[in-house]
Amino acid sequence: MKTHLNMDKIALALGAERAGRVSARGGYFGAMQLLADIEARFRVPAGGGRPTDPRWIERRLVPLAPRTLKRLEMISAKVREQGGVRVEPMQLAALLLEKTTEQITEDEVAEFVRPKRRARR
Amino acid sequence: MQEITIYIDRVAKKRPSGPQRAALREGRKSILVVLFVPSVERDGTTAVNQNHWVDAALDMFGRVFGGATAYPKAKGIWRDDERGGVLVKDEPVVIHCYTTPGDIQNPRKLAELASFCRRMGRDARQGEIGLVIGDEYLAIRDFAGE
Repeated sequence: MKTHLNMDKIALALGAERAGRVSARGGYFGAMQLLADIEARFRVPAGGGRPTDPRWIERRLVPLAPRTLKRLEMISAKVREQGGVRVEPMQLAALLLEKTTEQITEDEVAEFVRPKRRARR
Repeated sequence: MQEITIYIDRVAKKRPSGPQRAALREGRKSILVVLFVPSVERDGTTAVNQNHWVDAALDMFGRVFGGATAYPKAKGIWRDDERGGVLVKDEPVVIHCYTTPGDIQNPRKLAELASFCRRMGRDARQGEIGLVIGDEYLAIRDFAGE
């Protein structure tokens, strides 16, 4: 779940003006965040093997469309070529899934579970 | 449509609950702080000692928040509204620092970050120092005081 920060308090302490929320999840900025995340978290396991996040210890089967897999393969290939960071398509999927679920707020969860109203005639 | 099944790794076998989970969340480096280190002064032409400020920023982030990464120069532009909207082009270095919710709300650590930003803004003659904390852009324009 998304961590709540008291941004008013932070801005006051910094003597800064809150200039607005950013939704930088794509483009150069988003790509840099992704690279930084991989570099900061991925470690070679003690017993050897490809680098991974040591906290990823559970496995589940997740169905996905071929075009999603292709897109994951394309992005991870670009990260490897241009960023020099080794990441597998499914590691990228896990990272994106984790980031997205962490960004969902309690309010948004409440929206999901709000009972649907039946249409009245 | 054809479906493919894959494995996805997931975190944690046992979910801690209540205060324990809150404490764990506080301890995770889940907050990204981004600082833009400028290459030119507010006039858009006078170069600043960018390497010095990048090194100083990394020192500060390392000491106060435990680490940071500086990326190669990017291309940037900033509209100076206090000078009739003149466009200032520069090549900022973007620094990323991952920290914990606890550290980024710690008054002592925030004071150190603020002090650095004010010093860089003042000494490098900037109109604004830009910081992104979490998902908010914060603009520091008053560089008075230490």
